[in-house]
Amino acid sequence: MFAYAIRRVLWAIPTLFGISLVVFLLTTLIEVPPPADLGKVDPENVLAEEDRARARFVDLPRFFNTQPLDIHGRTDEILFHLVADDEQREVAAARLARLGGAALPFIMPQIDTMPAAAKSRVAVALAPVAVRMGQGDAVALRDPASAPIFWTRYWDEHSTDFTEPSVRRTVDRLIVRDSTQRETELSQVDTFALATVIEAMPRVTDLAALRRLMSVAARASGRGIVPDEGAPAAAFVRAEEDWRSWWFIHRSDYVAYDGATKVAASVTDTRYGRWMLGAVTSQLGLSTRDGVPINEKLIARAPVTFALTFIAMLASYLVAIPVGVLSAWRRGKAVDATFALLLLLVYSIPVFVLAQALSGLFARDNLLGLAVPILTLTAGGAAALSRHQRGSMAEVLSLDYVRTARAKGVSTFRVLVVHALRNAIVSTTTLAGLQFPLMLGSTFVVEEVFGIQGLGWETLRAIETHDAAWLVAVVLFSAVMTMLMLIASDLATSILDPRARDTALHSGEL
Amino acid sequence: MSFTLGFRGALTRMRKKNTARAAAIAVLFLAFVTIFADLLASPLPVLCNYHQQLWVLPNVTHPKELDGLSCDDIQKAGHVYLTPVTCHGPLDEAPAEALLPPMAPGHMLGTDAVGRDVFARTVHGTRTTLSFAVLSTFVFVMVGLFLGAFTGFFGGTLDAIVTRAVETMSSFPTLVLAIGVQAMVPRPTVSTLFMAIVLSRWAEVTKLTRAEVRLAKSSDFALAAKALGATPLRVLLNHVFPNARTAAIVSATFGLGSVMLAEASLTFLRAGHDNSVASWGEMLSEVRDNPTAWWMLIFPGALLIIAVLSFNVLGEALRDALDPRTRSDKNTP
Repeated sequence: MFAYAIRRVLWAIPTLFGISLVVFLLTTLIEVPPPADLGKVDPENVLAEEDRARARFVDLPRFFNTQPLDIHGRTDEILFHLVADDEQREVAAARLARLGGAALPFIMPQIDTMPAAAKSRVAVALAPVAVRMGQGDAVALRDPASAPIFWTRYWDEHSTDFTEPSVRRTVDRLIVRDSTQRETELSQVDTFALATVIEAMPRVTDLAALRRLMSVAARASGRGIVPDEGAPAAAFVRAEEDWRSWWFIHRSDYVAYDGATKVAASVTDTRYGRWMLGAVTSQLGLSTRDGVPINEKLIARAPVTFALTFIAMLASYLVAIPVGVLSAWRRGKAVDATFALLLLLVYSIPVFVLAQALSGLFARDNLLGLAVPILTLTAGGAAALSRHQRGSMAEVLSLDYVRTARAKGVSTFRVLVVHALRNAIVSTTTLAGLQFPLMLGSTFVVEEVFGIQGLGWETLRAIETHDAAWLVAVVLFSAVMTMLMLIASDLATSILDPRARDTALHSGEL
Repeated sequence: MSFTLGFRGALTRMRKKNTARAAAIAVLFLAFVTIFADLLASPLPVLCNYHQQLWVLPNVTHPKELDGLSCDDIQKAGHVYLTPVTCHGPLDEAPAEALLPPMAPGHMLGTDAVGRDVFARTVHGTRTTLSFAVLSTFVFVMVGLFLGAFTGFFGGTLDAIVTRAVETMSSFPTLVLAIGVQAMVPRPTVSTLFMAIVLSRWAEVTKLTRAEVRLAKSSDFALAAKALGATPLRVLLNHVFPNARTAAIVSATFGLGSVMLAEASLTFLRAGHDNSVASWGEMLSEVRDNPTAWWMLIFPGALLIIAVLSFNVLGEALRDALDPRTRSDKNTP
């Protein structure tokens, strides 16, 4: 039994991988909005365009990254353009202003070896960073003559602040106590503090401390949400989610990879890798329809849909088994023929036609409002299952042991329920795994017709607004749920019918 | 050769069943409507004289010269000898005649919210749905047959990969996957819907065929053929494949019904194709905006039920007739 269970679960791993691959390939179908016509190349526009691309990781290769970029690589690239003074220098300068303090440890050691003109270009490009830090004089910083002197002096005095332990100490103190002194210290290292600050956010429970961290992060990165003082906890959750997803995309702008992470980055810094990591760590992003995190929506909507699906499945079993047993017992008789015709008809009525017809007949605002959707779902499921139940029951009833039981004088009821049904029910139970995805699809339709706010209802709203994040999440989620149901039904079969288990183990299928 | 023989026997057996006969008649009726849709409903006449020129079947050929004209326009400038059953196209809007109930003059099944003729839309919807179902079923059954037969017979690495792929695809609820594809492509059209349906269905047929091929491969007659020196390809094509074929034919018949259902469901949810063609699902979805317009629910709905029911009955009858193992009357005492 355990050998079977373990093998069955292990075989789910390639399936999960396949599911993620299929959904990932689906995401590549999404249309990328064409870049706006820029006219002249404005650094701000270039960066905004780049941000849009990066939010969907389209700047990364699909499956393998031979040169993952971290802050070090990015800084070197920028310095190259600034030193060479080519046509990309303006964009490079704007990029450098964004990278800010985190880039300083990689610039300063090199700046002395540069020619004087290149040195001043780099120093002038850093001017917005100094303004953010609250250092120096705005005019002097833009002066090609005095800027290099300022930065050399600044680095002489402050280079010891640009170390991880020092920043961590400051952040820890800021979390414990509100202090302008600490905030100033953090703003002096600018974006260098971002990694420590943002990665500290999840473990901070005090809202005031969280707000201090967010305002430090917002000052350094020049973006992001800082909730007002005394804002409700939900606003903080939303803001934290926003920081988390931004950091997920932009971490490599501010953090240097060391040996092992660099190797890992060639796999994780790819479109597929980022998307996969995001899905596993439930960073599914924000819904573009209303800005609510996808996680929150899934948690709100999924129980409705799954409750409907499971209740309907249970109800259809409760209907299907007696009907199947009855028609198998009276096979060839009028009861059987009537049921057969009726069930075939019900089976062939599309669920949305039935839903549409019933929703017109019944009011929605009472108890019937919930019973009718379930009834709609049950009808289709019960029809399919009872046809199957009749078949398997008829097969068992023609076996010798049933005849023996009857010959011994066992009552009809006991023969049907105790002797025959015990064996005939196995294959019908197994069908639950296959019935689930069908039922889930039907639930989507029924939700839409009856206006029940579950996954299906939300999905159709997402279609109208092209909310790709939600669609990806819902396809992935329902595939994983279906896979789990298939495993569960296989395990249930192996308990109910050990023969099936042995066949599967020995035929090489598992 | 063996195919025709086996099939003729099956047809004889099927002919004895009344339900199968009724279903076959219904399917023939739908095929008739599909083929002759232009004779049933078209804005152009079947035979007319326009500006001293005789036009034969302009409703089928849609000549440029008569583009945008209606039967009445042609009658004014010439003579209409023979009209289709209804002189309206499925896409002709007439806002003045919106939401007419059935038996209204000129519109025997009424009109929808923008005044399009329901009869014309039902007829052309049949054409869209049925031809779409036939085409996509053909493609996914062929893909499944080929993959299933090949991997089941030869095994190996490819078999392992395809088996995993089948497992993966069967983890996606068909409708949800199709909705996903349709919603993510920039512009959902009939061809993207086609891809979505094929993508979500091929796995089922592959799985079925593979299982049948594996069963037939280990049978005595296949081993005997091999022992007699037949090449693997010959064993596959002449001995194994004919036994796996029945399952595919049956599942194609069921598949036709389920593809029609899927197409209608998706267009009903407005995740199907654009409105450049008429379809049953789209008409049914319009009932959501006009709940009192029962005629838009009844007519396409009834046709859809009849179509799905017929294909289900036919599929079952075919299975009984072609496959002695599952013949349902064997359990009758």
